[in-house]
Amino acid sequence: MEIIRRLLKNRISLFGLVLLVFFIFVALAAPWLAPPKEGADPYRIPRRGWRLEPTPPSREYPLGLTQGQYDIYYGLVWGTRTAFKVGIIVITFRALIGIILGSISAYYGGLLDEILMRFTDIFMSFPYLIGVVVFVAIFGPGLNNVIIPLICLGWMPYARMIRGNILAIKQEEYVLAARAIGVSDFKIITRHILPNAIFPVLIQASMQIGSIVITVSGLSFLGLGAPEGYADWGQMLSFARNWMLGEQGNVLKYWFTVVYPGLTMVLFVLAWNLIGDAFRDIMDPRIQA
Amino acid sequence: MLSYIIRRLLFLPLVLFGITVLIFALVSTLGPWTRVATFVPSPDAERHVNLEAMIKKYHLDDPPLKMYLRWLNNLFHGNLGWSQSSHMTVAEAIGHRFPATLELTLFAVLPVIVIGIILGVISAVHHNDPIDHSTRIFAIVLWSLPDFVLGLAVLMVGFGVLGWFPPGRLSSWAHLEVIKASFRAFTGMYTVDALLNGRLDIFWDALRHIIAPVITLSCLWWAFMLRVTRSSMLDVLNQDYVRTARAKGLAEPVVIKKHALRNALIPVTTVAGNMLLGLMGGVVIVETVFNYPGLGLLTSTAATRLDVPCVVGVALFYAVILVVVNLAVDILYSVIDPRVRLE
Repeated sequence: MEIIRRLLKNRISLFGLVLLVFFIFVALAAPWLAPPKEGADPYRIPRRGWRLEPTPPSREYPLGLTQGQYDIYYGLVWGTRTAFKVGIIVITFRALIGIILGSISAYYGGLLDEILMRFTDIFMSFPYLIGVVVFVAIFGPGLNNVIIPLICLGWMPYARMIRGNILAIKQEEYVLAARAIGVSDFKIITRHILPNAIFPVLIQASMQIGSIVITVSGLSFLGLGAPEGYADWGQMLSFARNWMLGEQGNVLKYWFTVVYPGLTMVLFVLAWNLIGDAFRDIMDPRIQA
Repeated sequence: MLSYIIRRLLFLPLVLFGITVLIFALVSTLGPWTRVATFVPSPDAERHVNLEAMIKKYHLDDPPLKMYLRWLNNLFHGNLGWSQSSHMTVAEAIGHRFPATLELTLFAVLPVIVIGIILGVISAVHHNDPIDHSTRIFAIVLWSLPDFVLGLAVLMVGFGVLGWFPPGRLSSWAHLEVIKASFRAFTGMYTVDALLNGRLDIFWDALRHIIAPVITLSCLWWAFMLRVTRSSMLDVLNQDYVRTARAKGLAEPVVIKKHALRNALIPVTTVAGNMLLGLMGGVVIVETVFNYPGLGLLTSTAATRLDVPCVVGVALFYAVILVVVNLAVDILYSVIDPRVRLE
């Protein structure tokens, strides 16, 4: 509660919160904001024609139509859902793997700890974007084939963090007491240790949603993520690549194909970063003025 | 110290072993032609002629362990397979493209370190001033610009509207000059080579091409460097020895430069290591946006054309560089900060 109060007090983080609430609203209200056609897959952006050249914004299509007459407004609205879906899935599984491995490693210690941590080091010493690209090259493009390697190559910081936290509280009296009266290892970890070690990790993890969404969008932009026509921000921006230099004498003719999807992504990341930044200050006792 | 370095050096093959096993396992799930291309560094792999004969000729029907060992042996000899998307062996492709990426990375790293640190120090010294708040907001905004969005914006304005920063690596006239025999390639980095050859016109052309991708690539890291310097500087400024320095009447610039900054820079070295990791990922997108022919563009083109050997080769190449750089950063860390004992 204290944290939320301080988030609301700071004008910068308040702005971030407002932005984030707006995006959550758009994601939840997508079926009403941009109703899909009866029976059609709502994540497929409807095409309003078959011409390749983008159409500028009009009253009917407020944000215009991008390459291939895909509706930009529709794509952005449903893309918000895709963004949250991808972000939450990746974060959940990363945190889960990290927490499981980290707590086993810290709780049992010794050789197991050494092996698990070297294993973590191996995973950490790899630029993960490259890892994702390898995975996609082998299994083919697609949203799932981006999400899986992002999970597999992203759990390490959480494992390390939870390990550090647990090492610090492992010798606390209440843990020793629980062990002394014969509580099982599993119960000690889940009931006594994790509730006291997990909070910073969860915060850290959720603050990553912004950057994960952007990574996935970046891969879609390269043509390695979502297939053409799927409501995904990065994919929408990749449509703009052929048109961003406009035509002779009118360079900015197709500005709307770049500006709207680009702005959406910038605001989304900005929201997460503003909140994350405020969190860092709140959590760090040294910076407290 | 020495034992630490040796342990880290021993860890290096372990990392590479892990990565190669993983990749080998993944590659084994592929169709026959992709597998052939992964193991055979010759144009044969491209001409889908006689699968049976190829498998016989290169012993591709051996048991997995034998195959893996032979593949590893090949890797040690720089034999990374055949790249169908660039029509040459993967090793050649990497050799061609690497100087371009190195040039880009070097151009990106230096300004980041200098500008990031300066802004960070200013921000910390003016803690909670308007200056601090504005650099902070500046950093967060920079941080929030996805590289491909920023890249498109820079390209649209810098090239489309202003005509300053063309995409690619060289203009076509300069490219014709560069491939002439009279132009000696010392490093493969065009800006450096042009200067060594005394060709200012080519230097200028190469510079014009590299500025936009460099800005796009390094924006995020300016922000990051700023933040890290700021918080570590704030930390140091509260230390007793800084108070002592002030108390004995030293001028404020001396306190900041001589006493505080030197200690504040210690965490910054770790950021430098992370930065290299980040830049390696970043070049994939940035080079693609600006059509800059380096390893990143090679990777993304290869990936979209499902050219597995090429992607795998680049990944292995990266992994080696990365492990070495991480080691170097750790050692540097202990040299800068005697309190850090590497054990």
